[in-house]
Amino acid sequence: MSEYVIDAKDMEVKELNRTIKEQAISHDRLIINNPESEHNICAGLSENVDIEINGSAGYFVGTMVNGAKIHVNGNAGWFAGDNMTEGELVIEGTAGDGAGQGIYGGTVLVKGNTGSRTGEIMKGGTVIIGGNSGFMTGLLMMGGTLIILGDVTDDVGESIMRGRIFVLGNVKSLGKNAVMEKTTEDDLSELKEILTEYGFDLTDEDYGNFKKIVNMQ
Amino acid sequence: MCGIAGVIYKDKKSHNIGEALTSMLESLQHRGPDSAGYALYGSLDFPENYYQLNIQVERKRGTLENLKSLLNQITPVLDEQLIESVGDSDVYKCKIALDEYSLLKPCIREIDELDNVRVINGSHSFEMIKDVGKVKDIAERFDVASRMGTHGIGHTRFATESGVDRYHAHPYQSYIIPDITVVHNGQITNYWKIRDPLERKGHTFESFNDTECIVHYMADKLDQGYKLEEALDQAVIDLDGPFSILVGTPNGIGIAKDKLGLRPGVMVETDEIFAVASEEMALHDVTDSDEIEQIAPGETRAYTI
Repeated sequence: MSEYVIDAKDMEVKELNRTIKEQAISHDRLIINNPESEHNICAGLSENVDIEINGSAGYFVGTMVNGAKIHVNGNAGWFAGDNMTEGELVIEGTAGDGAGQGIYGGTVLVKGNTGSRTGEIMKGGTVIIGGNSGFMTGLLMMGGTLIILGDVTDDVGESIMRGRIFVLGNVKSLGKNAVMEKTTEDDLSELKEILTEYGFDLTDEDYGNFKKIVNMQ
Repeated sequence: MCGIAGVIYKDKKSHNIGEALTSMLESLQHRGPDSAGYALYGSLDFPENYYQLNIQVERKRGTLENLKSLLNQITPVLDEQLIESVGDSDVYKCKIALDEYSLLKPCIREIDELDNVRVINGSHSFEMIKDVGKVKDIAERFDVASRMGTHGIGHTRFATESGVDRYHAHPYQSYIIPDITVVHNGQITNYWKIRDPLERKGHTFESFNDTECIVHYMADKLDQGYKLEEALDQAVIDLDGPFSILVGTPNGIGIAKDKLGLRPGVMVETDEIFAVASEEMALHDVTDSDEIEQIAPGETRAYTI
């Protein structure tokens, strides 16, 4: 496996993203040091490459990615993984508002807490939050699977149209258009498969405690 | 868009607050290219009833002389400095003594009646520095890196309403109580509903800027006996629109975020500091901690020393 290290310190994001794109063609794995919470890192990347970001990323990390696997060893700002079509974005720490917003495919995993409107207008793919998620989680969801392992606050699934939200912790309140329904065996086996793949070791009792939130119709 | 940042040192000792806030604001430069400003608390070590005035002076013949003449009629100028700035005006900074705080606002009003001058602010325990342009240039122009203090707030402005000039740069100050300042990212949509009752109580407004409205609102609440946290909680209830408000007082800073969480705000608290900012990258300028917290919609956080 060929590897390339990029020191992003004092690099403009345009230069950084240009370097990522160029090196992704000839390497399997890129390591980005000193990202310094810069915005838009890996924006629009369409190469199938593994990327390790050592530090925190700013807004829109991994936006419009199609195929890359990005691992952030830090936190992320607002709109992590926005509009991703295929690939994987893993945030080791916390993320701001709108994590996984508008994704069509792929997986966004935030191991810590997220801010508000997690997974808003997502159309497909999977968003997993290891901690708690904020206000209006799953706002205007149109598809996909949103899994929250911690608690969620008010108005979960506000104006949800399609897709499913699974919450292991407490649900403070549901949004308009959202209802809670019983999880099916198919739901649970799908959850087990996804969460086991990402290293979450949950008991059968935990799986039995998942609440499923969908459109009321 | 605008960027906001604030930091307070828990040990109550003097730190290089100017340098710390400049780093934070430089990290938020992309959020506001028009103008920038600071309220640096603890940077003035003045005896009781001594004040610093920052006055914008247009470069017109006789203006500075008229200003100095008026000032010396009101009270002797104890120290002065003219800071060359951009555009058609400079900033005249001076130190004066008054018999009591209640005379500060009338003094400012009297100066404002002069042609071609405008008082930017008057303060006792903090120094306000604000100007048009980039953070780096303003910091150099006013030698911000030399300022020591216990805490401070700062702002990078992307104007969405009212003019882009030195006066409309943040922070804004109210004189309802001494030395309260506000920086703000957002818009207050029930502006008149907040302003009208304050004006009926006799508080005067100098502009139509919503941040000025917020600082008077906060000052009025603190004047009524609210604690900083309580005033911020009430602001979340009373103010409409998207906002993240950062308030500075002589002994604390506090942030409030609108009920829908439409403007960003993150914070970090360590054994040494409590800091807030629009974006995480600004927090990394003052701490190595990764324990960054998202401020939730409708949440308020404050720290006082």
